Amino acid sequence: MSTPLIGVSKSILKIKELIKHVSNTCLNVLITGETGVGKEVVAQSLYTESARSSKNFVKINCAALPETLLESELYGYEKGAFTGAHKKRPGKFQTADKGVLFLDEIGDMPMALQSKMLHVLQSGEFSPLGSDQEFKTDVWVIAATNHNLEESMTKKTFREDLFYRLNIIKIDIPPLRDRKEDIPSLIEYYFRLYQSEYPDNQGTRPDADILEKLCNYPWPGNVRQLQNCIKKQMILNSWDKIFEELPKEHPEINLNPLNAHQQNGASFYANNSFSNDRTKIISEFVDLSTSSDKLFEDISLKKIKKLASDKVEKEVITFVLEKVGWNRSRASKILKISYKTLLYKMNEFEVHPPVK
Amino acid sequence: MGEANKLLIVDDNEDIISVFYEFFNSLGYEVKTATDGLAALKILKERSHFFDCLITDLVMPNIGGVGLISIVKKEYPDIKIIAMTGYGDHPGSLASEAKADVVLFKPVEMSKIENKVLELINQENDKQ
Repeated sequence: MSTPLIGVSKSILKIKELIKHVSNTCLNVLITGETGVGKEVVAQSLYTESARSSKNFVKINCAALPETLLESELYGYEKGAFTGAHKKRPGKFQTADKGVLFLDEIGDMPMALQSKMLHVLQSGEFSPLGSDQEFKTDVWVIAATNHNLEESMTKKTFREDLFYRLNIIKIDIPPLRDRKEDIPSLIEYYFRLYQSEYPDNQGTRPDADILEKLCNYPWPGNVRQLQNCIKKQMILNSWDKIFEELPKEHPEINLNPLNAHQQNGASFYANNSFSNDRTKIISEFVDLSTSSDKLFEDISLKKIKKLASDKVEKEVITFVLEKVGWNRSRASKILKISYKTLLYKMNEFEVHPPVK
Repeated sequence: MGEANKLLIVDDNEDIISVFYEFFNSLGYEVKTATDGLAALKILKERSHFFDCLITDLVMPNIGGVGLISIVKKEYPDIKIIAMTGYGDHPGSLASEAKADVVLFKPVEMSKIENKVLELINQENDKQ
């Protein structure tokens, strides 16, 4: 049985409403959200409420397989298509015919396969590996990702045309920490589930204090992490142990990284020929206080470039917004970006107007 | 003059919505607005034979413009649709594929949009 979509928050209720409106349209859906928020649960709900629910729900994880394997899984192959293809094998597009094909982690799909995917979505036709015959397919494609695909498009790791074709219906699931009111009903749901699964293990439900603690924990692993906690509680029956094992609420957020690094890393720099200014700049983006082995692992020019440009962009955007009295449409003109890009960036960098 | 023409305008940018509202309202149109596809569908469900023309942005949260166009063309085929996009060619061509009657690329003058609205509504009236 598939997991129902649990929650009473505004965002979950809106998603439920959206599902009702689109489950019979067969329009491509893109589900976004952090790891563990329940993207597959939403995909399952779309399927269950659709007229396709008597057909197959076929799932494929685009990040879990190497490129060539992913291709043969999706499209199938003919006998002799490659070494080891002893017999013909149908692909997911075929198995999902008249049903749903759930493309999980679509943001990790290699570029070459993205163009092939685009072709299938455009034409409704595909050909298995080693075959020159095109097959018609009638699948409802639901894709999901925890990547920010707008960003991937800028970095040219995700095709724009494929993005727009998938993004016909967009369902964004907020992280659990932004919808704490869903936590009690999720706890209750998983308690009942595991009680029926493990009738001999009776973990106690949280009392008011523990419930409050559970609601205030930020759940970086979202619903999946909460679910695992409940499962553990069924076996350990000790909330103290559960909290002990939870990753710290604020994993050492360093409010002033520059000073901290200068203190911790002082001796390290002293023995090196870095100039002070240089280390000062670098230490804003990389933790220089770690051992050099670890340090070299952490230095990725691409990552640092992104961090640095984000930092400057954030400052410039805030500067301009303050100058124009937070008139976003004026600010976007001054910055020479579209209004939407500005809103997106404000959201990404958490730039908010001052509360009056 | 007969009854006022009725428009549904959908855009996730409230500034644009208000500009459209003022413009068409002052010309005697009856205008309703929505900020995303789902909100637009809910309005249409309540008053399915009310609107003559839908003007929609393409890139929006939840049900985007292309999705909205596909659904409206299927469920309310009499409503004429003008799609507007500022996002380059891809959403525009998807809107045409979804059978939008007209696709306009931003920036576009309001008077030009109104001309298109009139053209589409008159076409429909001539047919009847």
